[in-house]
Amino acid sequence: MLTINKTAEEGYLIISLEGEVDASNSVELDEVIQEALNEDIKKILVNGHELQYISSAGLGVFMSYLEDFKENNILFIIYGLNEKVMNVFHILGLDQLMTIKDTKEEAEKSLHEA
Amino acid sequence: MLAVLSWLALLLVNLIRVFGENNQMEGLISKEITWILEILFFIWLYIFFNDAIKKNQNRNFIFFIWRAASTGLMATGTSFLIIFFYYLLGDSRLSEDPLLKNFFYHVNFAIVSIFLISTTLSWKHLILYQKNKAIVQQWQAYEVILLISMFFILISQESFNYGFMFGLIFLIIYGAILSINLKWIPYLTFREKWKSILFLVIIIVCTVYLFFRLVSYTQQNIHFVNLSENLFLLGLFVFVLLYAVFSSLVTLFNLPTSSVFEQKLTEAISFQKLSQSIKPGENEEQVLDILMDSCMSAAYVDAGWLELYPSEPEQTSKIQLQKFISNGERQEVMALLKKVGPFAAYFNGQSNARTEHLYGQIPHEIYKSVLVLHVSVNKKILGDIFLLKEVKDSFNKEMINIISTFASQTSISIENHRLLNEAIKNERYREELEIAQRVQRSLLPSELHHNDCFEIDGFSAAADEVGGDYYETYRFDKDYFALIIGDVSGKGTSAAFNMSQMKGVFHSLVQLNLPPKDFLSKANNALSRCLEKNNFITTTYYTINTLTKEIHFARAGHCPTLYYSKEKDISQFLSIKGMGLGIVRNNGYENYLEEGYLKYQPGDVMVMYTDGIAEAKNKDNQEFGYDKLRQLLDRFKSFQALEIKSKIVEEVYDFVGRETLPDDDYSILVIKFKA
Repeated sequence: MLTINKTAEEGYLIISLEGEVDASNSVELDEVIQEALNEDIKKILVNGHELQYISSAGLGVFMSYLEDFKENNILFIIYGLNEKVMNVFHILGLDQLMTIKDTKEEAEKSLHEA
Repeated sequence: MLAVLSWLALLLVNLIRVFGENNQMEGLISKEITWILEILFFIWLYIFFNDAIKKNQNRNFIFFIWRAASTGLMATGTSFLIIFFYYLLGDSRLSEDPLLKNFFYHVNFAIVSIFLISTTLSWKHLILYQKNKAIVQQWQAYEVILLISMFFILISQESFNYGFMFGLIFLIIYGAILSINLKWIPYLTFREKWKSILFLVIIIVCTVYLFFRLVSYTQQNIHFVNLSENLFLLGLFVFVLLYAVFSSLVTLFNLPTSSVFEQKLTEAISFQKLSQSIKPGENEEQVLDILMDSCMSAAYVDAGWLELYPSEPEQTSKIQLQKFISNGERQEVMALLKKVGPFAAYFNGQSNARTEHLYGQIPHEIYKSVLVLHVSVNKKILGDIFLLKEVKDSFNKEMINIISTFASQTSISIENHRLLNEAIKNERYREELEIAQRVQRSLLPSELHHNDCFEIDGFSAAADEVGGDYYETYRFDKDYFALIIGDVSGKGTSAAFNMSQMKGVFHSLVQLNLPPKDFLSKANNALSRCLEKNNFITTTYYTINTLTKEIHFARAGHCPTLYYSKEKDISQFLSIKGMGLGIVRNNGYENYLEEGYLKYQPGDVMVMYTDGIAEAKNKDNQEFGYDKLRQLLDRFKSFQALEIKSKIVEEVYDFVGRETLPDDDYSILVIKFKA
């Protein structure tokens, strides 16, 4: 079960993930990110407070956009991941490629710094 | 044959008796012998015709009636011949000869018996059509009564006494009761009914004539042996006559309704045709064709057509099976339908009410009444059947009912046909998948390379038919080994394809004998060109040297290796930096890697696994977790590699619960160092 909510904040978009991302629903996550790219949004935050689990297919979605983010100078920051989910990012090595912050404030801060 | 013999004997005995009587020589041969021979003659005849009828059991009813009628004609003809013979003789002395007279009497008696017995047996066949137990029992009782009546003559020679009369009346009543079994008549067609009436009338006439002929013999002659005043023979006369009269009357009264019965029979056959599911090689059109024909014949329809709606919106409707109507007329009718009555709303798409059929009148010059019937499959309208009749208000409720039944039966047939096709297709997919499964199983090694310095054991199970987990070993020389464990992102068929690519990459690169970090870097290069954008592979590559007791390894985003060190007596995860293969698809990849190194000692245990194990979930959605895995190794560290592996796998399955289907692939490799 995955619920995705989009909230447009001042100057950036927050994508909130709630539940689990696995092979069956990773397409939904993919669609939401693709949509944001199409709308030419340059600053994207992902709220992972309510994210219980992410499978390799879900990680694959983030991974597949890394190149696009770089090319289009998009700031993509994930925050609020619980320890277990963070560990998954860490084991795979994605934390070396993506900006992952603990809280929303930290994430916003790094948005402004950039 | 026996019947002929007994008749000849009877003839002989009776002639002798008449001769004796004429010459006042009483008591030459007793009367009883006559009776017994007569009875024997009857019985043989009965048995002979019973067999003859049995051989023709599958003939139609007309055959049996014709058989009786022809026998009757033959008997009558013979009787006429005898009269003609006497006419030729004129007043000569011979014509008064009692012996000759008796001879002809016997001939007459024989053919009458043949006619009566064979006809009775024909009637038996007709009576027993669609037999039930009660009718069979009735008939058997009748046969017994007939048998008794044959012997009656032995008990009482006096004819027409009370006993005789009583027996005769009883036979008449019983014969009448049997004669109401006329179930075969409705199955005759109109023509056959006329034929059977004709034959039955012939039988009646013959019977009556032959009866009077025998009676006249009896009255004419003084010096003769009376064979015909026999209860059996008279009983048969009555029975044959009664059944013929009953049958002819009932057939006559059945004539007007026979067309209705024929109609019902055709409907039943149509229904049966429709209900047989479409056989292989036949298609839906053939079933629709049968449906169309059945509907048209059931309601005496003058013209009709079938309009098939497109399965895809961009196609146009297809007109099929246009019968007895020209294109022009069809369009005229269609145009009227869009204007008139109950049809307009439906054809203009205003009405969504899906009634089974629409029925109404149209002001067309030829066709006055129209019935539109929907043929639907799986709640989707397949098409409409249009049936036209030239007379106003001429579809009655029964016709509409039967046609609706045809249509729904057709729907079922077509639906079954489609389901069957789908099932066959699915079966094929399943077989393909089974092949894939076999191929993939063979991708995992059946034997793992090792030497006496360590034990190694592995296990792998896929969540779906095929999975994305991979492990393999390679032996450079007797002391030097390479080892890999990997997990492809996602699961199922796509993961299985990528896994086979990984196997190819492993076997190509392992021969170069590269340090683990270089190995993974090259593997990343190769796979970056092969993997889809959102696919990656995690893996850990090890080289083990049993001579120097050294292990080198590098981790490409794979779950950290669990290692038990005997010296420290502690299990821990070997966490080194790493990055999955295919994530960074440029030269910078190497920078995210780190190479691990350790020296092992006998008693150390290395556990390699995929995330399916660490992330296995139970029904409360709790993860098995890394800590639990570590604790397990602490518990089982002193066991052999095979046992450690089995215990861990068992624990994982117990945790998940036997009923829950695994939602990821599980793989585990255990190495235990011995020297």
